[in-house]
Amino acid sequence: MDAWWQCEIPYPSVPQEVLNAADSVRASLPNRYCDPAIAANLFEEVIDEFLLCDELGLNVLAVEHHAGINSLLGANPLLVGILARQTRKVRILSLGTLVSLRKDPVRIAEEYATADVISRGRLEIGFVKSGGTEMASNNANPVNNIERYWEAIDLITKALTHQDGPFSWEGKHFTHRHVNIWPRPWQLPHPRMWSATGDPETASEVGRRGMVHVLVLRGPEGTRRAFQAHRKARAEAGLPKVTTDNFAYAALVYVGDSDEEGRRVGSQLLWFLNTSLKSAPQYSRFLPGVVPPEMAPSVYRTAPRADAALPANAEKGVTPASQNARRLISITVEQAMEQGILFAGDADGVYRQIMEFHDKVGGFGHLALIGRSGPMTHAESVKGIHNFARDVLPRLRAVKPVTAE
Amino acid sequence: MAAMNDAKMERLPARGWELEVVRCGSGKPLLLLHGFQTVDPRARFVELLGRRRSIVAPSHPGFGLSPRPDGFETIYDLTRLYLDVLDALPDEKITVMGFSFGGWLAAELAVMGSPRIDRLILVDALGIKVSGRETPDILDVFNTAPAEVERRSWHDPARWAPDYNAMADEAIVRRARNWDALCLYGWHPYMHNPRLKDWLPRIAVPTLVVWGSSDGIVAPSYGKAMCDLIPGARFALIDEAGHRPEIERPDAFVDAVTAFLEG
Repeated sequence: MDAWWQCEIPYPSVPQEVLNAADSVRASLPNRYCDPAIAANLFEEVIDEFLLCDELGLNVLAVEHHAGINSLLGANPLLVGILARQTRKVRILSLGTLVSLRKDPVRIAEEYATADVISRGRLEIGFVKSGGTEMASNNANPVNNIERYWEAIDLITKALTHQDGPFSWEGKHFTHRHVNIWPRPWQLPHPRMWSATGDPETASEVGRRGMVHVLVLRGPEGTRRAFQAHRKARAEAGLPKVTTDNFAYAALVYVGDSDEEGRRVGSQLLWFLNTSLKSAPQYSRFLPGVVPPEMAPSVYRTAPRADAALPANAEKGVTPASQNARRLISITVEQAMEQGILFAGDADGVYRQIMEFHDKVGGFGHLALIGRSGPMTHAESVKGIHNFARDVLPRLRAVKPVTAE
Repeated sequence: MAAMNDAKMERLPARGWELEVVRCGSGKPLLLLHGFQTVDPRARFVELLGRRRSIVAPSHPGFGLSPRPDGFETIYDLTRLYLDVLDALPDEKITVMGFSFGGWLAAELAVMGSPRIDRLILVDALGIKVSGRETPDILDVFNTAPAEVERRSWHDPARWAPDYNAMADEAIVRRARNWDALCLYGWHPYMHNPRLKDWLPRIAVPTLVVWGSSDGIVAPSYGKAMCDLIPGARFALIDEAGHRPEIERPDAFVDAVTAFLEG
C-alpha cells in the first residue's frame, strides 16, 4: 500500500462568533476575514510539511477547494507547480484541478504536462466532480456538471497523449479547434489518472476507464459499495479484473507518541467536518441537480411527512454528497473512529484501524491522509508526519496489491 | 382554493414527443408560457381567463411531467419548439402570454416574428439586461437563500411561500423537476439573452407589459424599461402583488389583461 499526505490548508482563524452568525462558511463568507499575513504563514508551514514528506518518502497530495475557510487552495495548480519543483523524490497527486469548473480543459492539460515535466515524471492526475458551494463560486451550472466532468477528462487525456500536431475538439461543452500542447507530459502514455466519487453510477465509469478510484470520508458501507460498483462495471464490460492498487481511501489520520496523544491531537482534524462544512441551503439541499427529483421530498423537507412514501435514496442506494456532508457535520470523535473517517492513536493503533477498514471494504492500495486541519499546529503536524512515516508507512508498504474480488 | 373550472391536464404533440399541457375555456386561443413553476390548472386566474379564451398552457420540456430530450437544454431549443407549437395549433391567430422565465421565451418568439402571434402579454418577464455590468437586474434565485427568494417573490410571502413539510410528495417532485430544468436553461447567461434588448423594437404586435408592484425578483422599473423598448407597448402595474400577480391578485390581473385584449 502507498500513502499520500495532504493538507487542504484550511483557515481556522475566523472568530467563532462570525462563523456562528454566517449561514455558510464557504462561498459567501466575506474575504475580509482572511488575513493575507496569516494565510502566508499557513502556506509556508504547510509547504514545509510537504517537503518534510518528501524527505521521509511519503507521497504528497494537493487538493482544490474554493472560497471558504475549509481551504485556501482555490489555485491548486500553483501548489502543484511548487511541489513539482521543490520536492525531489516522492510522487505528487493533484486531486485535483476541478475540471468541470474551468472553461478550457486544454489549459489544464498544459498545466499538468508542465508539472509532470518539471517533476521528471512524478505527477499523478486526479479528478474530482466538485459541487455544492463551488458551483456558485465558479459560476458553474450544477445540473450538467457531470457531463462537463467527463468531457473535460476526455479532452485533457487526448491533449496529453496526442503527438501528431493540432487536433480539433468540438464537443457539447468545450470547443478548441487547434490543440497541440508543449511540453507534452514526461510519462507515457500519460500520468496515471485518479477519480474521486462515491456514487455508483460515476464509480462504474471510473471502473470501466481503469482509473484509480478514491473515496473520501465515506465510511465502510459507502466505500465498499462504490468499489463493488467499479468491479461490477468492469466485469460487465468484459474488462480484466483490477488489483487493490486501483482503489484508494482518504481519511483523517494522526499518529501520536501515545494512543492518548494521537486521539487528542487527531481529534482536531474533525474541525474539517464540524466547522468547515457549514453550507447554506441554496448551496446544498436546494442546489439544482443535487439529487434526482424523486428524492427531493426527503431532501426539501425539514420534518418528514407522516404519509411520506418515498424511501430516501431508494434510487441510487447511497447518500448523495450533500447528505453525507450533513451527517459529517455533527460527527463525534468516537463516531468518526468507529466509521473509519478518523484513524488516530499510536502507531500500532492507527495501523490496526487502517487495516480493519481495509478488510471491511475489500482492500485498497492507497491511503490518503488528511494529516493537518483546523487548529492543529505546525509542530503537531510535523510530529504526526514523522510518526506515520517511521512507524506506520513501512507496515503499509508490506501490504502488496492483490487482485480485488 | 381550487377553482371550479374545466381545466384538464392533457398531452400536446410536439416534435415527436408529448408535452404536458393544461387546456380549458373557450374562445380565441391564448398560449400561456409559464415561469419558474408550471401552470396550476386549479389557479383562479386560469379559470377567469378561460371564461373568455381557450387556454393552452404547456409545461416546458423538463418541467412538470413534460419529458426533456437529450441535448434539449437551451433557449434556442425552447423558442424553436414553441414556433412549432404555434404552427401546430389550428387557429390562425394566437395571443401569447409569458410569465417570468416564460416571458423571456414569449419576447424571443415575438422578436422572431411568428405570423401566428396577434398579441403579446409579458408578465414580470425576464430576458434582457438593463443595468450596468455590476448591477444584477434579476435576483439570483439559485445563489440566494431560499427564504430570501420567497420574501422577494411575493407581496405576502406568509401566505404564498411554499411549505415543503406540508406539501405532497408529487408536488415536491414536480417543483424539483422545474428547479433543475430552470437551472439548465437559465444558469448562464443568467436568465437573459445579452442581445435581446437590441431586438425588442422588432416586436410588431400589440403588447401589454404587466408587473407586480412588489416584485423583488425583477423590479417594476425593469418592466418599464422593457415596455419602452417595444413599440407602442402598454404598461400595467398590479398593486399588492409580487413576481406572480396572476396568483396574488388574479382578479385585478385578469381585469388588466381583459382591458388590453378587448381594448
